[in-house]
Amino acid sequence: MVRAWADSLIKAFYIAKKDAKVYYFKAPNFTYGLLIPVSLYLAFSMAGEISSKLIVAGLTSLVMLFGTTSIEAVAVVLEKQTGTFERLLAAPLSLFTIVLGKTLAGFFFGLILAAVVLFPLAVVSGTIVMNPLLAVIAIAFTSMAFSALGIVASAYAKWVPEAQMLSNFLRFPMVFLSGTFVALETFPSQLQIVARFLPLTYSVEALRSSIAELGVTYTYILDIVALTLFTIVLLALSTKILEKRIA
Amino acid sequence: MNLVLDVHNLTKQFAHILAVDNISFTVNKGEIFGFLGPNGAGKTTTIRMLTGQTKPTSGTVKVAKYDVVRESIKAKERVGVVPEVSNIYDEMSAWDNLIFAAQLYRVAKNEREKRAKDLLELFGLHERRADRAGNFSKGMKRRLTIAAALIHKPDILFLDEPTSGLDVQSSRMIRNLTKDLNKNGVTVFLTTHYIEEADQLCQRVAMINQGKMVAVDNPEKLKASVEKHQIIEVSFDQTQNMERKLASLKYVSKAVQVGDKFRLHVRNTSEAVPLLVDFARENGLKIISINTLNPSLEDAFVEMTGLSAEVMATEKEQGKKVASLG
Repeated sequence: MVRAWADSLIKAFYIAKKDAKVYYFKAPNFTYGLLIPVSLYLAFSMAGEISSKLIVAGLTSLVMLFGTTSIEAVAVVLEKQTGTFERLLAAPLSLFTIVLGKTLAGFFFGLILAAVVLFPLAVVSGTIVMNPLLAVIAIAFTSMAFSALGIVASAYAKWVPEAQMLSNFLRFPMVFLSGTFVALETFPSQLQIVARFLPLTYSVEALRSSIAELGVTYTYILDIVALTLFTIVLLALSTKILEKRIA
Repeated sequence: MNLVLDVHNLTKQFAHILAVDNISFTVNKGEIFGFLGPNGAGKTTTIRMLTGQTKPTSGTVKVAKYDVVRESIKAKERVGVVPEVSNIYDEMSAWDNLIFAAQLYRVAKNEREKRAKDLLELFGLHERRADRAGNFSKGMKRRLTIAAALIHKPDILFLDEPTSGLDVQSSRMIRNLTKDLNKNGVTVFLTTHYIEEADQLCQRVAMINQGKMVAVDNPEKLKASVEKHQIIEVSFDQTQNMERKLASLKYVSKAVQVGDKFRLHVRNTSEAVPLLVDFARENGLKIISINTLNPSLEDAFVEMTGLSAEVMATEKEQGKKVASLG
């Protein structure tokens, strides 16, 4: 059992490495991952001044959301269209291993994007990250959850525009409903409930906590648990959708 | 007999369409097994089930004794798949494509590099190993796809239309490579709509039509089964409006124009030839050539499926054009 899992993880890593080479680490993907979040920040900032702590946490989360899901959303569809997905299906891999491999590629990409944004932004805005280790953990769990979200769109879609439309349908409402640049407490109570069903809420909250607090707070733990649950559910959902699609 | 593939009552139902209807056959170790059928006959669905890419509705498939559904990983480790459309990664080099394929099958690091080198040399791609596969010609991509399918030394290699869309030289190269691989002990499951190709390469062939298995045997036995019809191939100095006239002659059961010739299915050759000579004289025609032929595998195919090989090839090409437009 342990050997089978280890084998599955190693193969998933190979898929991630291949995906990184083929899809991710190209200049346009980095610029796209940065461009939309910065534009959204500028739009929010016009409505009123945003505190530096909200900017750092919000922008870092948004960069990860847009960076990972943009490519994750098409990673499976593109392979289906070019026929290379058949290579993966014919190889000794479970569907879950394929999904995991694809998600890991987005995960690593998200980590790099976050590093590119968080640390320079903290320096420029004069924000002190009280607990960098907690920030790194929050970033890691966020990146995994967002990559898994992108894979759901990719598993479901039959062609690239459908995947892009679906990922936008999932991402844009989240930007406005998750308290990215506005404190969640200022939202009407119904919207606060809706926000609790969105992974971006927990990502922003965990990052804010690591910036503001030195120790591990109860909210931070809940945020990490929620992001973990999102990852598990989204990975299982992607596997199920793919299983139906290839039946 | 050492079985590599054992298929029992395999069925696949898609909503209201029965794509594969209760087919059974075996493939022996070391043979080239042909799988023939027109477009939509159920060939691709069958291959997808045999290689574990989709689950059957009912029935079983065993690859080297491993059940493809229940022991999917173990079964897939023993299979190499070359789909109809080459599925290598265009963005990666030839070398990286092979190494990635080897990694998925957990071939040991030193071994995977040795095998990649050997295969690239065997397939004449070693000089281009560092080039992006996207810059390769169709024939080179095909060779690289086959090489990638062989990297883990599979017990059986599935070749789906390996020469489809290739130029004559590349097709001949792939055919020779297939023969050489088989001589070196690789069992091959070959799908093709070029019946002549199946006749040249395969020790046994299966014919499938509308999801049902029509026949499984070696090509010579299949040809012998239609020998009740003898064939005369004749060409005249004119070809217009002749098919119907020739078909109405005594002893002729069927007349088909093939290029500038007419292929006549006759019940008695010795009686039919003098009649043909009389027919030519009466119609002011000059006989350019006249030959008697043994039934080909194509004739057996036509007899058993009721479809002509030309129809099958045309359907296939049309299907590809539609796919490329899509």
